[in-house]
Amino acid sequence: MACVYIPVQNSEEEVRVVLDQLPRDASDILDILKAEQAPLDLWLVIAREYFKQGKIEQFRQILEEGSSPEIDEYYADVRYERIAILNALGAYYSYLGKIETKQREKEEHFIMATQYYNKASRIDMHEPSTWVGKGQLLLAKGDVEQASAAFKIVLDGDRDNVSALLGQACVQFSRGRYSDSLELYKRSLQVYPQCPGAVRLGIGLCRYKLGQYEKAKQAFQRVLQLDPENVEALVALGILDLHNNDAVDIRRGMEKMQSAFEIYPYSAMSLNYLANHFFFTGQHFLVEQLTETALAVTNHGPTKSHSYYNLARSYHSKGDYEKAGLYYMASVKEINKPQEFVLPYYGLGQVQLKLGDFKSSLSNFEKVLEVYPENCETLKALGHIYIQLGQTDVAQEFIKKATKTDPRDAQAFLDLGELLISTDAGAALEAFRTARSLLEKGREEVPIELLNNIGILQFEKGDFKLAEQTFVEALGDGIWRTLIDGTAQPYPIDASLSIHQYKDMQVFHRLEEDGFTVEVPWNKISILFNLARLFEQSHNIEKASILHRLILFKYPDYVDAYLRLAAIAKARNNVQMSIELIADALKVDDKCPDALLMLGDLELKNDDWVKAKDTFKAAKDASNAKDSYATLCLGNWNYYAAVRSEKRAPKLEATHLEKAKELYTKVLMDHNSNIYAANGAGVVSAEKGQFDVSRDLFTAVQEAASGSVFDQFPDVWINVAHVEFARGNFPLAVKTLVAHPYLQYQNCLKKFYNSTDSQVLLYLARTHYEAEQWQDCKKTLLRAIHLAPSNYTLKFDAGVAMQKFSASTLQKQKRTVDEVRSTVSELKNAVRMFSQLSAASNLHFHGFDEKKIETHVNYCKHLLEAAKVHCEAAEREEQQNKQRIELARQVSLAEEARRKAEEQRKFQMERRKQEDELKQVMQQEEHLERMKVRVITVTARNNGRVPLLPVSGRIGPNLTMRRVGRVKRGGKRGKREERGIRAQSHVMRQTKQKPTLWMIKKKWRMKTPT
Amino acid sequence: MKLAGLKSVDNAHDDSVWAATWVPATADRAALLLTGSLDETVRLWGSDELSCVATNAGHCLGVVSVAAHPSGVIAASASLDSFVRVFDVDHNNTIATLEAPPSEVWQMQFDPKGTTLAVAGGGSASVKLWDTAEWKLIASLSIPRPEGPKPSDKNANKKFVLSVAWSPDGKRLACGSMDGTISVFDVQRAKFLHHLEGHFMPVRSLVYSPLDPRVLFSASDDGHVHMYDAEGKSLINALSGHSSWVLSVDASPDGVAIATGSSDRTVKLWDLKMRAAMQTLNNHADQVWAVAFRPPGGPGVRAGRLASVSDDKSISLYDYS
Repeated sequence: MACVYIPVQNSEEEVRVVLDQLPRDASDILDILKAEQAPLDLWLVIAREYFKQGKIEQFRQILEEGSSPEIDEYYADVRYERIAILNALGAYYSYLGKIETKQREKEEHFIMATQYYNKASRIDMHEPSTWVGKGQLLLAKGDVEQASAAFKIVLDGDRDNVSALLGQACVQFSRGRYSDSLELYKRSLQVYPQCPGAVRLGIGLCRYKLGQYEKAKQAFQRVLQLDPENVEALVALGILDLHNNDAVDIRRGMEKMQSAFEIYPYSAMSLNYLANHFFFTGQHFLVEQLTETALAVTNHGPTKSHSYYNLARSYHSKGDYEKAGLYYMASVKEINKPQEFVLPYYGLGQVQLKLGDFKSSLSNFEKVLEVYPENCETLKALGHIYIQLGQTDVAQEFIKKATKTDPRDAQAFLDLGELLISTDAGAALEAFRTARSLLEKGREEVPIELLNNIGILQFEKGDFKLAEQTFVEALGDGIWRTLIDGTAQPYPIDASLSIHQYKDMQVFHRLEEDGFTVEVPWNKISILFNLARLFEQSHNIEKASILHRLILFKYPDYVDAYLRLAAIAKARNNVQMSIELIADALKVDDKCPDALLMLGDLELKNDDWVKAKDTFKAAKDASNAKDSYATLCLGNWNYYAAVRSEKRAPKLEATHLEKAKELYTKVLMDHNSNIYAANGAGVVSAEKGQFDVSRDLFTAVQEAASGSVFDQFPDVWINVAHVEFARGNFPLAVKTLVAHPYLQYQNCLKKFYNSTDSQVLLYLARTHYEAEQWQDCKKTLLRAIHLAPSNYTLKFDAGVAMQKFSASTLQKQKRTVDEVRSTVSELKNAVRMFSQLSAASNLHFHGFDEKKIETHVNYCKHLLEAAKVHCEAAEREEQQNKQRIELARQVSLAEEARRKAEEQRKFQMERRKQEDELKQVMQQEEHLERMKVRVITVTARNNGRVPLLPVSGRIGPNLTMRRVGRVKRGGKRGKREERGIRAQSHVMRQTKQKPTLWMIKKKWRMKTPT
Repeated sequence: MKLAGLKSVDNAHDDSVWAATWVPATADRAALLLTGSLDETVRLWGSDELSCVATNAGHCLGVVSVAAHPSGVIAASASLDSFVRVFDVDHNNTIATLEAPPSEVWQMQFDPKGTTLAVAGGGSASVKLWDTAEWKLIASLSIPRPEGPKPSDKNANKKFVLSVAWSPDGKRLACGSMDGTISVFDVQRAKFLHHLEGHFMPVRSLVYSPLDPRVLFSASDDGHVHMYDAEGKSLINALSGHSSWVLSVDASPDGVAIATGSSDRTVKLWDLKMRAAMQTLNNHADQVWAVAFRPPGGPGVRAGRLASVSDDKSISLYDYS
């Protein structure tokens, strides 16, 4: 039995105090101690004993008494014991301060502790235990650096001071220098192997932090061996088990947590872990209970933060975002730096995103990102927030980064694809494709929406085959397979009823009768529709039509399918059918702007002007302010109204043009990139003669329209050419400038119309006409006639071209007989052309004035007569020429003969001469002289007889011919020119009369379901 | 079934080639390809080398149509000036020049027996029938004018006749119009029977199936080929796939396929059983105005041939098997 003996003053006796039986009232002991002036170390022993027994009040009473000024005075020399008492008090108050939760009291305790330590220091500056105490106080106050300095002072004096070693270890631990800390713990264990389990706890924690889990475990187990009820060690072991992440370990971990909980139900750490566990097992009630307890018992920031986080998480998963938000917020408040515990920021961000508070959510996710810059989920979340905030560029950055950090996150690629759709279709497609292959690799089902989007992008890119595959895959099995493959037998329809082709639903009834199930799941309608649109685009009209009808068979309210069928019928010129289909669409939705607009367009086609205007107006009223197509249509209507009538009424025309311009301008104000409105504005300017303005507009439109598959806009090419043409329409400039519009028309024809537009050919012909390239003009018109056989104006124009050609040939100063001949045949053709027309006009085929044709016929006949004379003259001339050539040929032949004869003669003479020379050598000189004279005279005579060509013979007939031509032409000049102009103006009107190519076409938008 | 390119001749004519048909083989020679062009000439080509055998001048304005007599001895060509020139294939002697003003001349075809030449009369809304022995106009089959209180000028020229086709038994004649209607006539009684509706754009080419005298194929500017039961007035099927006007259609001699030529510059071969395009050929650089299967017969000629002609001045020959 432990006891102390208090020596009785001035005697040998001692008072025996049994430590187990210390009096309840400390004053009794104090009286003895004071009375006997007991040594101070006894005071300490007794105080410590009280403390051990949990009698804190008595402990403090003794120590306070032991540090009172009287004692100081009395025991002035007993320095060490006095310091020890002061230090014990300092330590006591540090502890109080450490565990106190209320800030004010906490500070008061620390102040007290500081005072006691300072007092101790005043007794002896160098006492190590005081420094250790100060260090611990500083640690408790969180002043790690100063604490470290205090411990260092002690350790400098005594490197084996265990308390200082432990203190310094603690410092290093809070600094995060775990290996240093571990070294210090180890040192203290070496120095003092009997030290309490807590030291080993420190070692365990260091190892844990250093990732040496096995060794950490061993350390904790050792602590438990020494102290089976050490809650910290139990919790730590539990955590280690839990982290192992397999079922057995988790159970074991939870058991440990539970026993820790049983030993000490107020350990916040174990409570948190238990709560965490029950969160995952879904027992939210327990979670709340446990965390609330944990919150009540702890004041430790990080632990509280954990507890709040657990609570928040529980509410979050229950869908109570308001409460979850509050608790996340509380959790965040307990955290100094996001680095310590980042999860509540993430949760808060999520909740705020859910509640629509994007700004706050953004800042929270950004904090998470600071800690984990590569966290994929956070990057995605940020991306989403920026999408909501409308900053797609930033959003893209984040999601791109997310896909880079985790190239196997299908969702991230999906998000990226959706973001890119509007800006970069190619990249979007790439992202979708990656997402798809990731999902396929992960054996996950690829959502049909994804396939649909891929299909649409492939479609827009022009990869029709791929797009078809994708859509078909998205559709899977169904009745459509039978319809697309064409395995279902077609059912003949009455040809007289074939007008109903696009409304026919019989085929589906028959399929049902034949035992097929005709079903369309609602989520596949859009894909069916898109596939049908694809078939339309790749000209598989029949398949498209049957799919659209299939949609309508099951979903008779699907307006878009009616409209597409109407568009198909319209493209095939089946106006009546088209109107009926639109009527069906309007039955479903009588305010559908698209249907109304299409109806207006069809009414225009049917020449129902007044109706069309009303329909357009209704469409404009029905469509919202954003859709300016209706306004555009009204603009077009006004334009057509202005130029429609052949008998132009300048006043009316001006009003309509002005109105059209106003409407186009309005559209442009709303959408400054609307190429149709810009085109319209250009047309109006051109109509007013402001060619520079319109040219600029058209060129801009042309540039803008050279984009995707759907933006083909041939009309503007024509318009550019028209403007060029109109600008060049001055006599001098004609020849050089027409080449340009010619190329424009030519390009346009090839590029957009498969050369099937006779109207463009007419424009081409017109440019040839202006350039006086009559043959080209004629050829172009013949092509146009071949394309549009029933267009008699083309024939008229061809006649005019031939007439012009003939007239111009006859006008030429020089022409060959062949030219004149072809002129004659061309005139005959022209006459035939015109007389055919006049015969046809008897049958009222076209609206030509018979008299006008008559004049042309007569004029051609007249030209023909003139040409005959020319022809005769030319033939005569040719005859003469032939004769002349013949003569010349004969002459040259004769000369050739002569020359040959001469050569012969010369040759013979030469020979003779040689013979003679031979003789000469032998003969006399007189002989030789005579012979020479004779030879010379002969040659001289021959030279004189070389004939001249009869040049003068040419002049006579030539002169007469010219005179004939001149006289005839002079007489008729005035009349011919006048006709020429009239013919020309007619061609021009033909060109102007039909402004159909300046029409604005509607681009059909595709439905992109989300 | 398959088409394989054999030979192409660029610049076969000096200008767009608008018409083509095969002149059947005679005892003395194999079948020849007959083409007509905007360059105002008609040319004859030997198969399979596509060597130009003859060039016939004599037309003014472009040659829009050519037709060959089933005997292979005579042929006819017509131009935009509405003259029909009938000539001796081997010697190019003009046999007759036909005109029937104010009727124009578009597509022509000899009846299967060779006794009559049918000529699409354009704006006259009629088909003219010429006797091939005397070269006299024997009948004018008129399309009845649509009934109405006052046939306006606008509607009148919609019945403009562009194309004709004889049924293989020679009993029926079909003609296609600008407005897309097809009219069927009983030739013996010179009587209009009925319309076949379904197209609403010009029908530029018609051909009967060689297997079934009831089945008629029509090519239209609406990009479709329709397959009609011409007797039962029903539309059996519609074939789509060309992206522009279908200018010409011809049925293969074995009756299982048809070929089409289009403004989209392609030639397509269609399997009638599958009712789908089997092949798309891109030999030409401009619209394909005519396609023609070579008729069977002649010394040692069993292989199938298809010819196509185009605005790009070229002609192409394919093996059909």
